[in-house]
Parts: sequence; structure tokens; C-alpha cells
Amino acid sequence: MSDGKAFNIDLGRLKSREKDRSPQAIEKAERAGEELGFVARDGQKRRGRKPSPRTGQVHAKVLPGISEEIANEAKRRGVQQGVLIEEAWALYKIKSGI
Amino acid sequence: MPTVVIASPKGGSGKSTTAILLGTELAHAGANVVMLDCDPNHSLTLWADRAPLPDRIKVLSNVTESDIVRTIKQHDTDGQIVVVDLEGVASRLVSRAISQADLVITPMRATTLDATIGVRALQLIAEEEEALDRKIAHAVVFTMTKAIRSKQHSGIAESLAGQGVDLIDPPLMERAAFSALFEFGGNLRNMPAQGNMDGAIENAALFAQAVYKRLAEGV
Repeated sequence: MSDGKAFNIDLGRLKSREKDRSPQAIEKAERAGEELGFVARDGQKRRGRKPSPRTGQVHAKVLPGISEEIANEAKRRGVQQGVLIEEAWALYKIKSGI
Repeated sequence: MPTVVIASPKGGSGKSTTAILLGTELAHAGANVVMLDCDPNHSLTLWADRAPLPDRIKVLSNVTESDIVRTIKQHDTDGQIVVVDLEGVASRLVSRAISQADLVITPMRATTLDATIGVRALQLIAEEEEALDRKIAHAVVFTMTKAIRSKQHSGIAESLAGQGVDLIDPPLMERAAFSALFEFGGNLRNMPAQGNMDGAIENAALFAQAVYKRLAEGV
């Protein structure tokens, strides 16, 4: 089997040509393509925040100081208050052997 | 350094094989090559994951319509060649990539169907040249050719040459080693022997040399 270099590349001879990368130039290229059926096929990404998977709801009234503490802790961690309730519930299940 | 775009709206024309053969042979000859996988089938990435990449080759996966121009700009720098493997459909991604090319190679099997669909890439290049007021060098390479040239192959080659289309010689023949790149990864020189390896290596090297010549001469 041959293993030698078939040819050597002179990197100095390879040049990139100036290309217009402005939005206007890209738009011109796209318009030219669209007429020949070269159209957008990438799925359009949904904008904005993804819907939360947390769709369940609890109806809990707690003492004023507790609600404030929960709100502050959720804010500090950057999570929804429901996350803290889920964690508390997980601990409760362990403690109660559920 | 130049950007080479491998484009044909026809699926199964040999774009990814052409891109890998070109990239690995140019790297073997001493060039740094960045290969962009823009195909949702991730053919280049599948090849790249099979074995450690050969020296001087880098593969970037999941390049999409929204980041193709930026990614080419980022890597179109001194000391490396960018090879772009596109998807086999007519898409805006193809239009954008061609707008940034120094050379467009259209792989084409020597069949009427491939030629008919492949020619749409040539039409797109012509339209973009006019729209951008810049010459975009392009060439066709026949792929999966047989040792004995069919009448259909000769007819298509004659017709394209008659229209002034640049045909890369040699064509890429149908070879077990070429398709085995997707099984073993790496390049032709480090894979277990598959059929006539010397013939396959010579074919790929001469093809890459023909492309290099076009890039060096600024065709």
C-alpha cells in the first residue's frame, strides 16, 4: 500500500477571496436561491421561555413569616417556589417512609 | 485560505464521501483542514466518531442555516482550508454556503437523474454570481464511476463540457475503500485493506490534487 505524500501543498499559493458577508449580500443570494426552490428548511425556533413542566397545583396557606422565607429562598436560588415545596415533600416522604 | 463547498441538491450523490476524501488528502499533503458538517444526517460526524481524526483535521458538527456564514467567516483564516459538506436538498443553507465559497464542487453520479437534479446547483451558482456580482468558481466531479465508462456517462460529460462546465479529472470511482471510510473512520492510509487500496489512494490523491490546482490557480 502506498503511504507517501502524493503531493505537497504550498500554503502560500492558497488565497481566500474577498467575500461580501453583509446582510444585504446574503439576502441577495437567498433571493436568487428562492427562485430556484432553495428555501428555508430549518425549523423555526419557538421564541420566549419554554412552558413550565410544573402544571400541578397545591393550595397552601402558611404563616406570614414562613411565606416570606420561602419567597426569599426561592428568589436567592433562582427557582420557583414550587421547587422548594417539591424538595420539602421529597424529604417528608423519606422521613415518613412513604 | 479558501472555502470549498460540496453542494448538490440530490441525495446520495457522494457529497460526504467527496468531502472526506478531499479533506483527508489535503491534510495528508500538509494543509490544515476544517470540515463543516451541515448535513442533518451527520455523515461527517459519523465518520469523525469512528476513529481518531487524522492529523491537521478538525470537524465541526451541527452547522445550521443560522450560523453557516458566521462559522465560515470564523475559520476562513490563514493556514487552513474550509470544506463544507451540505445536505442533499435545495435549501437556504445551500444558498448561504455557496455565497461564501471560493470553489463549489458538485458531486454527480453519471446518471440522467443525478445530472438533472445536480444541474440545479449549477443554476443556483450562476444566479448567485449575478446577484453578488462575483465569480464563484465551480466544478463537477463524477462519483461512483465504473472502470468501463458507460454511454450515459460519456453523454452527460459531453453535454456538461459543451455547456462550459469544468469537469474534475479524475472522477471518483466506485471503490470499497471509499465507502469503508464510514465504517473505520480515519483516512485511506490507516484503514484495513479494502479491495485495491493503492488504486483507491491514487484516485483520491489525484482528485485532491486536481482540486488543489484549481484553488491555487484561483480558477
